[in-house]
Amino acid sequence: MFVIGLQHYLVVGAILFTLGALGIFLNRKNVIIILMSIELILLSVNVNLVAFSAYLNDIVGQVFALLVLTVAAAEAAIGLAILVAYFRNRGSIAVEDINLMKG
Amino acid sequence: MNLTLPALGPALPEIVILVGALALLFLGAWRGEAARPVVDFGAILLLVLAGAIVVLLPGGTLSTFGGSFLLDPFARFLKILALAGAAAALLMSFDFLRAEKLERYEFGILVLTATAGMLVMISSNDLITLYLGVELMSLSLYVMAAIQRDSVRSTEAGLKYFVLGALSSGMLLYGASLVYGFTGTVGFPGIAAAAKAGSLGLVFGLVFLFAGLAFKVSAVPFHMWTPDVYEGAPTPVTAFFAAAPKVAGIAIFVRVAIDAFPNIVPQWQQIVIFLAIASMVLGAFAAIGQRNIKRLMAYSSIGHVGYTLVGLAAGTPAGVAGVLVYMAIYVAMTLGTFACILAMRRNGEAIEEIDELAGLARTQPMVAFLLGALLFSLAGIPPLAGFFAKFYVFLAAIEARLYALAVIGVVASVVGAYYYLRIVKLMYMDEPKAAFEPMARPLGFVLGITGLFVLLFFVYPAPLVAAAQAAAQSLF
Amino acid sequence: MTIAALFFYLYAAVACASAFMVIAARNPVHSVLFLILTFVSAAALFVLLGAEFLAMILVVVYVGAVAVLFLFVVMMLDVDFAELRQGFLQYLPVGALVGVIFLVELVLVLGTWAVAPEAMRAIQAPIPPLDQVSNTQAIGRVLYTTYVHYFQLAGVVLLVAMIGAIVLTLRHKENVKRQDVGRQIARTRAMSVELKKVEPGQGI
Repeated sequence: MFVIGLQHYLVVGAILFTLGALGIFLNRKNVIIILMSIELILLSVNVNLVAFSAYLNDIVGQVFALLVLTVAAAEAAIGLAILVAYFRNRGSIAVEDINLMKG
Repeated sequence: MNLTLPALGPALPEIVILVGALALLFLGAWRGEAARPVVDFGAILLLVLAGAIVVLLPGGTLSTFGGSFLLDPFARFLKILALAGAAAALLMSFDFLRAEKLERYEFGILVLTATAGMLVMISSNDLITLYLGVELMSLSLYVMAAIQRDSVRSTEAGLKYFVLGALSSGMLLYGASLVYGFTGTVGFPGIAAAAKAGSLGLVFGLVFLFAGLAFKVSAVPFHMWTPDVYEGAPTPVTAFFAAAPKVAGIAIFVRVAIDAFPNIVPQWQQIVIFLAIASMVLGAFAAIGQRNIKRLMAYSSIGHVGYTLVGLAAGTPAGVAGVLVYMAIYVAMTLGTFACILAMRRNGEAIEEIDELAGLARTQPMVAFLLGALLFSLAGIPPLAGFFAKFYVFLAAIEARLYALAVIGVVASVVGAYYYLRIVKLMYMDEPKAAFEPMARPLGFVLGITGLFVLLFFVYPAPLVAAAQAAAQSLF
Repeated sequence: MTIAALFFYLYAAVACASAFMVIAARNPVHSVLFLILTFVSAAALFVLLGAEFLAMILVVVYVGAVAVLFLFVVMMLDVDFAELRQGFLQYLPVGALVGVIFLVELVLVLGTWAVAPEAMRAIQAPIPPLDQVSNTQAIGRVLYTTYVHYFQLAGVVLLVAMIGAIVLTLRHKENVKRQDVGRQIARTRAMSVELKKVEPGQGI
């Protein structure tokens, strides 16, 4: 209980991943929450990578996490830009309204 | 400690494209929209130049950046294919974008960065390079889908593509982190050495990784974004999506499966067989009721990804060679068909309804003939190229004793033939509607070349097949 | 050891709870604030794992840039927050069930995580002892040498993000006056001053 091993961190990562995935699938109202859920998923990946890096004593895991962080920031910027462009056309960011094309 | 710079030679095509893209970006930012023709021309020139460099670099397998970047015959084959697809799609885009008042110099730059991402993906030999390549490509594609920013449909397509693409990247990464944690390395050779059968954790990582990859190639059940994005994005962007990124996606699929997990074939084979069957069946049935030709092409591309994965499911050199031949023929067929779709214009407006093609044989007999040939080929009717593409992958599946998979594939392609043939019937049997505007010259050029390739492939298939076999052999 | 364990449980609990609040909060602004809390707690976990550089980067990049960007957009898009959150609860039971099952499966697999026997031999870049090389230096030695292409590609990805954001959102409005340094410098006395001869008692 009081010795914190790799598994503890992996479970934290799993919880964050599940919450992120739930946030994407449950949310019907607000696309911004979906973008935040994506950030949560990427954070869970980072927790995993850093935990493995510490456990294996391998710096590559931390380099990987650093790059994931960078790319996640770029992804957030693009996502928000697309969202702003969409909002200007549609006047809404509700998930239910993203339904112009169906099939 | 090693402080020398790694060899940059094997990455020269990527470097040329990215440095060129930076130079063109400066030019565009400095001169504004006046620089657009130069940027467009320069972008095509850079793609051709990169292709020439891929051909001219010394042969065999080159590797650099600590073994994380690989230029082997497999990568060369697919890089040339991706570059050809990107260049042709860019060439076809100019007239359409001008007519729709979408001309922006950033379009060419984004095509270049997306293509550089694809080349990095194709050459990647570790999970980090793979991820960076995927993201470089995907981020450019999200922006391209939404580039018609005053249209609700285009921005909605961009938003859908972004949300589902980012989710798939997250799944891919989660899988990559588990694989790294199990094997202690991100390099594919190291993963192959450590990944032996038996570990549930590794299989979990594999499933997440493959789910992320399946998203990128739009294999069922991760295809939901494809029809909407294909329909909503501007047509030249759709043509680009259908051609080049598919090549890169299939490339990493094959590379990861064959290079990183050769010791747990049964585990990933099940996944790939499931993806292949689901994609082939859905591609065949869901396309039947479509009225929008871009949506139809989306379902068609889903089906074709399924057939391609049949070759990968075989997991043999013959199967991978089948995948490569299939991709080459698929890119040609798709580009040719999209050349016709881009040419469907009347009174300055783009038309996307399939019914509007009625009687094309009487108004534009040459275009109708070539489009008919392309559609027959997409359906897989001998002696056109599409038949041979399917023939090689099904043959590989039978040799690998996957009889059920091959039978389902044949049945699905028979069902799928229905909706292609319906278009041919429309063009040749039905009363003509008003004629389309004459085809722009770049479109005619692409249509002519791809049409001839598809028609005459059976005369002399040896060079392509031999190149694909040599490329496939380098993976094993 | 127990102190570290207590801090682990504290930060892990805060991270998970605030991550839940990110997706459950009724107001998007609250969601963003909880997202910041999640990231700060995760940064603390990184410190516990010995990844100091990443912890600081997480705070600087995420709390300093990404979260502010989110806040910016939430404020900029003038949406009616009250009605936005109503539909959440109706999907919650099924979603929670699926989520819990998924989580239990994951935890079962991860809880018994075993590393491949070959893994310890496959290590590409072992972490040097902390008293000789700091964490930041250790990352730099990998990132700027053999794997320099990671760094370059990440730079290109950020450039694409910049291009994309500008392409999609920047609009030059016609009627807005803006400063043009070139024109200001190029202005001469002859262009801007006109001498008028005014007759006495007549005005212009």
